[in-house]
Amino acid sequence: MSLADRSVVDRLSAGAVSAWLERHALPLAALGTAAVLVVVLYLPVGLVFVEALLEDGSPTLGHVAEVLTDPFYFGVLADVFADPLAIGAHLGSLAGWLTAVSIAPTLAYPVPGVDLPVPWLAVDAPPVRKGLFGFTAYQAALSTVASVAIGLPAAAVLANYEFRGRRTLRSLTILPFVLPGIMVAVGFYAMFGRTGTLNTLFGAVGLGPFAFVETSPLAIVILAHAFYNAPLVARLTVSAWESVDARTVETARSLGASPRRAFRDVVVPQLVPAVLTGALLTFIFTFMTFPIVLALGGLQLATVEVWIYDRVQRLAYGEAASLAILETILSLGLTYAYLRYESAQTGFSQAPSPPPREALFPDVRTVLSPRRLAVLGYGLVALVLFVGPLASLVVGSFTDGSGFTLRNYAFLLERQLEGASFQTRPVPAIRNSLLFGLATLAVAVPMGVVISVLTVRAGRSGRLVDTLAMLPLAVSGVVFGIGLLQGLVFGIPLPGGWRLQVTGAVAIVAAHAVAAYPFVTRNVSPLLATLDPAMVESARALGASRTRALLDVELPLVASGIVAGAAFAFAVSIGEFSSTVILASGSEHYTMPVAVERYLGRRSGPAIAMGTLLLAVTAASFVVIDRVGGRYEL
Amino acid sequence: MKRRALLGAIGSGSALGVAGCLTRDDGGDEEGDGTLTVVTYESMIDTEDSAGPWLKERFEDEFDAELEWKQLPDGGINHYVQRADRDAGIDADVYLGLNVDDLVRVDDQLDDGALFRELDRDRLERADRVRDEFALGDPHGRTLTYDMGYISLVYDETEVAEPASLEDLTEPEYENTLLAQNAQKADSGQAFLLWTIDAFGEDGYLDYWQRLEDNGVRVLDGWSESYSGAYMEGERSMVVSYSTDQVYANRFDYDFSRHQVAFPDDQGYANPEGMAIFEGAGDVDLAYDFFDFVLSSEAQAEIATRNVQYPAVADEHVDLDEEFDEYAHTPEEMVSFGYDDLRGNLDGWVEDWAQEFAGQ
Repeated sequence: MSLADRSVVDRLSAGAVSAWLERHALPLAALGTAAVLVVVLYLPVGLVFVEALLEDGSPTLGHVAEVLTDPFYFGVLADVFADPLAIGAHLGSLAGWLTAVSIAPTLAYPVPGVDLPVPWLAVDAPPVRKGLFGFTAYQAALSTVASVAIGLPAAAVLANYEFRGRRTLRSLTILPFVLPGIMVAVGFYAMFGRTGTLNTLFGAVGLGPFAFVETSPLAIVILAHAFYNAPLVARLTVSAWESVDARTVETARSLGASPRRAFRDVVVPQLVPAVLTGALLTFIFTFMTFPIVLALGGLQLATVEVWIYDRVQRLAYGEAASLAILETILSLGLTYAYLRYESAQTGFSQAPSPPPREALFPDVRTVLSPRRLAVLGYGLVALVLFVGPLASLVVGSFTDGSGFTLRNYAFLLERQLEGASFQTRPVPAIRNSLLFGLATLAVAVPMGVVISVLTVRAGRSGRLVDTLAMLPLAVSGVVFGIGLLQGLVFGIPLPGGWRLQVTGAVAIVAAHAVAAYPFVTRNVSPLLATLDPAMVESARALGASRTRALLDVELPLVASGIVAGAAFAFAVSIGEFSSTVILASGSEHYTMPVAVERYLGRRSGPAIAMGTLLLAVTAASFVVIDRVGGRYEL
Repeated sequence: MKRRALLGAIGSGSALGVAGCLTRDDGGDEEGDGTLTVVTYESMIDTEDSAGPWLKERFEDEFDAELEWKQLPDGGINHYVQRADRDAGIDADVYLGLNVDDLVRVDDQLDDGALFRELDRDRLERADRVRDEFALGDPHGRTLTYDMGYISLVYDETEVAEPASLEDLTEPEYENTLLAQNAQKADSGQAFLLWTIDAFGEDGYLDYWQRLEDNGVRVLDGWSESYSGAYMEGERSMVVSYSTDQVYANRFDYDFSRHQVAFPDDQGYANPEGMAIFEGAGDVDLAYDFFDFVLSSEAQAEIATRNVQYPAVADEHVDLDEEFDEYAHTPEEMVSFGYDDLRGNLDGWVEDWAQEFAGQ
């Protein structure tokens, strides 16, 4: 064979290989994605669960039963779980409780530290032991109510009025959702703390200082949850509201319905699904809350998630895993309900004739109408709730109890310049966060796109893939972190003295990618689903392989969704705390949120300054992504 | 083409990236390379004035070796127990800052006498200087005490009177005044909990804490958070801390009225701190050198003043400033639980306490 021939053969075989690759790229990518998911999601989480179901190598339900029947975890329900068939006894104790409830008028003093009596109907019920799960559900329910109460007026204003900055405000509602939890917690501390901005303002008019965080930590935690989730509720509701066809309302009006009646019978039914979706998501997210309670609540407000974290630190794996199983069953059930519900709803498409929007302040006289005043009042409340914590964070980083200071930043700078290798320094934290964020993009975006393609094109089995792929939304970060740590970081022993082991950094990126790709999928799937299949078929008919068609026809058409998904993936990575704090324990792989938490263990100043840096980096990332463009949907 | 390459590379690439981390245990221990890695708690090393930087500098000068500090991770001793349990390797030679309860936890979780080497006291010329009553009482001889602290209350005399007993803390006079620490996470918090168990018994301590809770005790996670954060920022007027508090206050010229030490019932909980060598330590000789160095008169005096704790050695082996003697207070009666008392009980006690607090 001459040299020339050989090169032809090489070329041919190279061509053959690349052609084969191109033909099979999609299945290969799907296999790769599946492999990643199995190794970094299902295997670690499975390991945690096995821990709860094995006792000395034999399967048992003992651990789980112990948790179920422990009043500490399930309060009054524990008796029911312990003896589910003793219905008479349970009903008897319920009746006994009901007869002990009494209602009497009384005076309450709602403002702490202020002698201001308010007449009040006191419901005097004997205390019911809620247990840890009960309390977690209770705070999640309160948070959901608060989020809906704060989110709905915002939706009403955004959907019905036209004013400068409305569109900006509407797109800003996505922002709180992706802000790092630990940062929001520190922001709330900077606002409500003893030396916080609120007390500074009260102090200026001679009141206080009030110990908000100390006297009502639960209220602060619920406000922080509302900060997170009210915009989500608002967002979903505005989308639904804007897709109401104005002509249907007009028809109802012309048939003699009053405006109120038309609103109640035509508009409300179309809003309810969106509000319910928002409420359900809020409940799931706040049920699994971690950094906010960890930073603001302390032991007395421990939720299931915080307790799992504590069990892990005490090496009580069996108990931690049982709790994790029960928590996951609950949240998976809710997530499944959400997905079922979502698929039953038609998408929020833009209506052919969206409802008209009035100008918010057409002239001076209308400004003084009660409705406009209510909008203004609400705007003020929203400003305090949403801008307050972030502004307090920035202000708090430049002040101490007595006025302007650069001490907090000086501390960070000193740490950076003189800190020893074992100390948490700001620059490595920023660098790690950005590097992990970019690495997360490289893994999560392709994974999310592949899963979108599979679910959209697979018809019936697509639902199953979708549900499996959405598991990360339902598994708590703490559980996931433990699984990764014990499974992959410590290593899984294999036969022949080998171990499968990954470094902390790889594990962190894996955790971030798994937490982030559902957001990519959520952004890309709806766009892919609306593409006309004829386009792909034409390309295929003209000789393009399936992969070629995907790369050259479909993806360019859904580019905006991919960019938006990427933005989310990056933000999720920057803010991820639960798994990272476990995986970075005792190592140099700390990210900015973990650094904030480590600084929190002392005076609050440095933590607030670090939180401000985190805010700056997050904001900069968003500006960059916003310049690239993209529409955000959840 | 680029995009295609990307798409092809992702799945397989990331899968390989993970799968590529197969390692083999070859069981080879690191030989001593003249570096000693010592893990310790944060306040030992977090500022220039802490004992850590001084120890490092002097030790390196004296022994021509390198000392590398590592900060104890959040999980404390459990971090190492977990790693030992999974054979995941431990990247430290010496642990500085062990309490009795840490040893109990090691032995409860792993095997008796695990994780640390039994010390060969013949290799240490200064081991006998340590006061007998400060020993951690480890039946497996793994530790050597290097300093000693008494848990007490620190209060602000302009706001509250000195509490005469633990019982007083449940009185209306002390409502919403006390700051304590989470016994699951902080040494001082656990010591205070054990003190209440000593005072009220296994059957009575939860009831006492219930009354404390009704009286508005506040429990924060860590000692620094409660002392440097909440107490020093004026959130409360009393905090569970150490009886050497005034030594610290004097160094920074704080107003002593906020740094009064109280010993309820004339007691304080004794918390000796020990050091030990990890089983897998690389340079054992150097670790022994370090132990002897820590027990030298000069190092003992520096640790006492910088770490604000009592020296572990008898008086004739350490020369302390007058200031230290003047400002460090000792309780009339020392309360403490030994190794045997804690074995098998500790986790249950702490657990029940935590449930009392978290249970809604």
